[in-house]
Amino acid sequence: MYRNLTIRQKQIVWAWAFLAIPILFYSIIRFYPTGNAILISFQEWNLLGDRTWTGFDNYQKLFADPVFWKVFKNTFVYLLLGTPISLVVSFVIAYHLDKTRFMHGFLRMLYFLPFMTSAVAMAWVWRWFYQPVPVGLFNNALASMGIPQFPFLQSTTWALPSVLAPAIWAGLGFQVIIFMAGLRAIPRSYYEAARIDGVSSWTVLWEITLPLLKPTIVFIVVFSSIGFLRIFDHVFNMTTNNPGGPLNSTKPLVLMIYETAFSAFDMGYAAAQTVVLFLVLLVVSLIQLRLLRDS
Amino acid sequence: MADLAIRNLVKRYDRTEVLHGISLDVEDGEFVVFVGPSGCGKSTTLRLIAGLEDATSGEILIGGRVVNNLEPKDRDIAMVFQNYAIYPHMTVRKNIGFGLRTSKMSTADKEARIDEVAGILGMTDLLSRKPSQLSGGQRQRVAIGRAMVRDPAVFLFDEPLSNLDAQLRTQMRLEIKKLHQRVGNTIIFVTHDQVEAMTMADRIVIMKDGHIQQVGTPAEVYHKPANTFVARFIGAPSMNMLSGTVANGALRLGSGEVLELGLEADDGHPVTVGVRPEDLHPGAGPALVRGPVTVREPLGHETLIYVGAEGQEVIAKADGRTPPEVGEEVTLTAALDTLHIFDAATGDALR
Repeated sequence: MYRNLTIRQKQIVWAWAFLAIPILFYSIIRFYPTGNAILISFQEWNLLGDRTWTGFDNYQKLFADPVFWKVFKNTFVYLLLGTPISLVVSFVIAYHLDKTRFMHGFLRMLYFLPFMTSAVAMAWVWRWFYQPVPVGLFNNALASMGIPQFPFLQSTTWALPSVLAPAIWAGLGFQVIIFMAGLRAIPRSYYEAARIDGVSSWTVLWEITLPLLKPTIVFIVVFSSIGFLRIFDHVFNMTTNNPGGPLNSTKPLVLMIYETAFSAFDMGYAAAQTVVLFLVLLVVSLIQLRLLRDS
Repeated sequence: MADLAIRNLVKRYDRTEVLHGISLDVEDGEFVVFVGPSGCGKSTTLRLIAGLEDATSGEILIGGRVVNNLEPKDRDIAMVFQNYAIYPHMTVRKNIGFGLRTSKMSTADKEARIDEVAGILGMTDLLSRKPSQLSGGQRQRVAIGRAMVRDPAVFLFDEPLSNLDAQLRTQMRLEIKKLHQRVGNTIIFVTHDQVEAMTMADRIVIMKDGHIQQVGTPAEVYHKPANTFVARFIGAPSMNMLSGTVANGALRLGSGEVLELGLEADDGHPVTVGVRPEDLHPGAGPALVRGPVTVREPLGHETLIYVGAEGQEVIAKADGRTPPEVGEEVTLTAALDTLHIFDAATGDALR
């Protein structure tokens, strides 16, 4: 029967044969749980007993919960600080590294190294950096210069930036590599033509390099935004004594979901938070794509 | 005054010397084409003139002023690149205007200048388009427009036609030549295509391995090539090279024929005899080559015939209507004044 098919029909048969595996995988591993999570968000369930239908109760509880709004705000602070800072820092590094010939490969490796390091190990090392005297590296350095100690992880104001810093650092290597690939793709003659026209290097940067890097910038912005909206392991590992503390000042949405689900065993409530996170990710990504792609 | 002069220009990358002290004078308003095979140093020379690279030694003078230590923008030059180097995110107007960014003109004057250049190039309708909406030839014209807008003393063209298809190339060749006649600036044009060089240049500079082989008008380099390299490089199909020796001022060819040419060389001196395919034809007269026809290429008004002789193939021109058959033994002859005689050892022209 297969033999009587036209070439095009045979190609379709093969295409479906190969596509069947990822489709099956995604249906079971991704789409089914996603649908189930949305369903659970309308139910009450403690993981063992029966599921009972509660309608919008979970969502009403969520929007009335001051902790949720605190966490919601934290998540956006991670996003709004993390994405622009990491974008600018990684571009500046890539821009200068691209022009460096001296030990180029070694320097690039150094920048990429944090990306390959386990987030847990990194978080614990930074946690040590941040400890008070006589343990912490930073405070010891400050103390030796006669500067008062800085309450990195103890302050409700400074804990979030202190957790964010290693998270930015961890993603930097990847972004630098992507930026460098983008910079390499710009033909040299564009710069040579600009040199002959005698425009300043500032003009070249703003009017040639950055506009031509736009697809790269879009990719990095969307990619790192999703990363910061889902931040968890850095926060969890740097504040294990009191996850998300002090006083929920570093707690992101994912950590709240985790606690609701696996400390309080309130699956319905956790699912509702997950659905909110999903919608936030969706909306933020779509807005960024829309803003950055055309115009 | 916008003449250009190069004095003993040397360029070295680490230990590799790619230009070995070349010198050249270009007059104001002259159209000079640098031609040669890839790696001959023609593009390097152009980039040195532009100031995109530093000369290792030697001097570059533009308008009588040594420019070695000047930035490209201060040299009063403009350059058109092989890949055009027009910015994809800017309109044609912005691209052309980019060359005026640093000029002290008022905005209105700049706009007027852009319009004037667009008018000359016939692109007034295209000013608001982006490069992606233009054809290859139009992009080429934008690149030329950007160079023109600054009215430089010297235009530098780096193989600007090699990304175009054959038909467009012929058309742009003509347009650039017309443009030169109209604006009259000095042009240095680099190409690897000898047809482009022949058709456009006032003078051709033929380069090989970082040396200038010959500088001359198209007629000079065609009719009086300085050496075997120039003789072979210019003209298509390429010049036939036969071997011979000098005997008593006469030339003895491999075919056994002795030609009284009055050569001033020692007896027994080996020489290379060059004869262009269009000068070589079957017929009566001194027999330069004898052998069977191996291939015929009919071109309509004439037929090129390949004749096997002395272990090589020579190309000759035969009649378009009644060419010899393949396999037929022919005797090829040429007028004696069309023969080029080169020293076999050095390759330099003896006559």
